[in-house]
Amino acid sequence: MWMWFAKLGSPRWFYEISTKWLPWLASAMCILMIVGIVWALLFLPPDYQQSFTTRILVIHVAVAGTSLAFFPLMAVAGTITLVWKMKLADMVAKHAAPLGAWFSFVTLATGSLWGSVMWGTWWEWTDARLVSMLFQFFLLLSVVALRSAIEDPDKSAKACALLSIVGCINVVIIKYSVEWWNVLHQPSSPLSTSNGSANGPEFWMATGVMILAVYLFFIVSLTLATRNEILQRERRSQWVQEIVRTS
Amino acid sequence: MLEAIQFSSLREFFEMGGYAFNVWSVYAIFSIFVLVNMLLPILRKEKIIKELKRRASFEKAETNSVREP
Repeated sequence: MWMWFAKLGSPRWFYEISTKWLPWLASAMCILMIVGIVWALLFLPPDYQQSFTTRILVIHVAVAGTSLAFFPLMAVAGTITLVWKMKLADMVAKHAAPLGAWFSFVTLATGSLWGSVMWGTWWEWTDARLVSMLFQFFLLLSVVALRSAIEDPDKSAKACALLSIVGCINVVIIKYSVEWWNVLHQPSSPLSTSNGSANGPEFWMATGVMILAVYLFFIVSLTLATRNEILQRERRSQWVQEIVRTS
Repeated sequence: MLEAIQFSSLREFFEMGGYAFNVWSVYAIFSIFVLVNMLLPILRKEKIIKELKRRASFEKAETNSVREP
């Protein structure tokens, strides 16, 4: 068990295993993304009330759902950094923050573009879901800023780890905001059997494909960024110099 | 399968039932988001490898010049 744990924390092990896995993950991501987008754009039947705007929700739901994974991931990585001082965990956390900010921004932008025609407003300050998602965006930006503000890498890793653990509270608020305070944003719709409605089986299948595609995109992009970090931090080691020589 | 397509003409497809601006903006934002976050790390890797190669050749030249005299 501990052997396995130590191996998992080794940047070299991660780099080598991800070299093997990345082509497969990236191809699966491309296929699912193309299937999801073509399905949503061409084949999704219009909703009887929302017409073709459900095509926006396919993207919005997938990106928004994935955006909630960032703080828990960074909190787990941060705990590992604080307790075991594992180098790899901090590298993942470092690159998760800016990517998470992207995810939150796209969630807000796509949600706004849907809300502007379906709610008749781009933004509503009294809606807890909207505001807590905006808060997550700023919180992730502040993690990025905190990282670059503290020069000592050990201290900045610790500070970011703490902020990430605290930030998880906001994820719970985002998740349950639609049930605790019911303003504009609707709760997650249960599956309906009617195909002409926004939450029909076709919608959820297309969205399911898109959720998988976006999750894979999140994993692939974060892995690519982490691999770059490994190359830089381990540049003095024999195995990185070997990679540099042969590439 | 083709009869399941929800549009009868290309123009209808672009119009998106009158929600063209919102639907196409979302797909444009999403495409940029995916492309940027895939391409940036790939380009950065090339830059890092180039930089490390340069440094390696520099260090090699340095150790050679030390050995010579």
